[in-house]
Amino acid sequence: MNGYFRSIYDGFAGTFKGLRVTLRHLVLPSITVNYPLAKLKPYERFRGMLLFDPATCIGCNLCIKACPSDCIDLENMKTPEGKKIAKTQWYSIDFGKCNFCKLCEEVCPTKPKSVWHSLDYEHVFFSRHEMVRAWKQGDPWVGTYWDPKEKVYVIPEFQIPIEEVPSRR
Amino acid sequence: MAEAAPAAPAKPAFDPKAACPDIRRRLWASKTKGTLLEGRLWPSDLWPHPWISESYRRGAFVLGAIAIGAIALAVGLGEIGAPLAALHEFYRQWAQARLPEAPAWSVEAVWILVKAIVVLHIILINGLFLVWWERKISAHIQSRLGPIFVGGWHGWLQTVADGLKLLIKEDAAPAQKDSWLYRIAPALAFAPVLLCFAPVPFGRDLEAANIDVGIVYVFACSGVSVLGIVLAGWASANKYSLLGGLRSAAQLVSYELPRAFSIVPMVALAGSLSLTKIVQAQEGYWMGFFPKWFFFYPIVGQISFVIFLIASVAETNRTPFDIPEAESELVAGFHTEYSGMKFALFFLTEYAYVFLAAALIATFFFGGGAAPTPLLSVIPSWFWFLSKTLFFVFCFLWFRWTFPRFRIDRLMDFTWKFLLPWSFVNIIFSIPYIFL
Repeated sequence: MNGYFRSIYDGFAGTFKGLRVTLRHLVLPSITVNYPLAKLKPYERFRGMLLFDPATCIGCNLCIKACPSDCIDLENMKTPEGKKIAKTQWYSIDFGKCNFCKLCEEVCPTKPKSVWHSLDYEHVFFSRHEMVRAWKQGDPWVGTYWDPKEKVYVIPEFQIPIEEVPSRR
Repeated sequence: MAEAAPAAPAKPAFDPKAACPDIRRRLWASKTKGTLLEGRLWPSDLWPHPWISESYRRGAFVLGAIAIGAIALAVGLGEIGAPLAALHEFYRQWAQARLPEAPAWSVEAVWILVKAIVVLHIILINGLFLVWWERKISAHIQSRLGPIFVGGWHGWLQTVADGLKLLIKEDAAPAQKDSWLYRIAPALAFAPVLLCFAPVPFGRDLEAANIDVGIVYVFACSGVSVLGIVLAGWASANKYSLLGGLRSAAQLVSYELPRAFSIVPMVALAGSLSLTKIVQAQEGYWMGFFPKWFFFYPIVGQISFVIFLIASVAETNRTPFDIPEAESELVAGFHTEYSGMKFALFFLTEYAYVFLAAALIATFFFGGGAAPTPLLSVIPSWFWFLSKTLFFVFCFLWFRWTFPRFRIDRLMDFTWKFLLPWSFVNIIFSIPYIFL
């Protein structure tokens, strides 16, 4: 008999414990962010879209060798005599293959880094061509992609930078 | 003649169309312009001291302002029972003057029709409000935000948008359905709830019909809804629907017993089956300030209340008793195959029953429209009734988002081995109150 009443008491006590927790969370502020209207800035070491600066790259091929998914490619600039110099003719990253591992940034010998992860997490691609970013001398850090219809390289306007001025390591 | 210096080329205005010819990308770019939340506090930092957040303070202020505004509006309006009675009298005289040959019952029938339409709109608006409220409460219990865009202020028009969507949806039905039953089932589930609201006293002199056996009437009508649910399960020609319908029949019939027996002490104390009489029996205050509500009768009131509350949650098919529409086992239970407005009718029925159950709790245990202290009697009775009802509706939503679902055998054990015996014991407990 005592055990019976005890079980009833325990049942109700457990019930009220659960109700207390949910009521407390009802009146606490929500943790959700209204995503398209408000955005969170990721922590500093977040690995977002890769940026590249053709002005500082020395074309040493270390990032190509470090890349585990084989998504980076580059070609050195050449003198009229056909001798390679420490500048890139073009540099490309295939974000369809990239796994955002940061190995390319780690091996980059220049200071500041010539290829580095930004904080941009809004990678949206509407076609496979857009996944392949290419940089020539003078191109912005976000790079360009090949538009097969217009036969031109286009700057991806749709990639919204999370920071006004992308930080650089 | 000096040659005019070439003007510096004006910086062309940013043309999104030129920069981004693809409409999809423009749309994406326009949608993804947002404010960057830097230095935002983590929940672990914010939750111990929520008041340091400005938006939290603002939200609390708005909620308080809404509550105070509603109370002020209610005090300004005052009691609406007496003016409505005067309106009824005016209408009767007007009708007799205009149509002297019309029989009295036909004049009264038009008035009853008007009352039925008003009650129907209470149900409809209640459905609109409760769906939105449930979504907001469930969201905030889970630390989400819920609907936030439609209507501008916290998504208050979300349900209207959803209702319009339901209206224009294709009415897809299974080919193997039992056509006639399939069509009549939603109506059969919905019509009784409209009848159920007739004797509910929404305030002083504010019931649509003062029925002497109001309690029996309400329980009888709500019992008919089970038929609609079982028919929906049967006519859908779907195993999940059928299982849901049968489970619903078993559950609703079982829980109707403790629900009815738990209020036998209240009926005995009031000496009447009329809801209006039960409210009148709870008028007055002990020692001038403590309300004579049935809930405050020691032991009997509380046991009755708990049993009635639990059985009401089960009767309305809501979590933790939602095995008829258990999402993880039966796709959506008895309304799996329903879409469009037929589905909306089932939804409306569920929320109308929630409102009805909360209204019955307020009537049986919390004095209907009575104020908790004589001082607060300036606030009209319909406002007290509405706030008590909405509080218990909130409790229903709160339970739903707190408790996990019962297993079916435990569900049956709970009513037959616990609630029903205790409701009998409670009747015995009430004997001293009746004879003292």
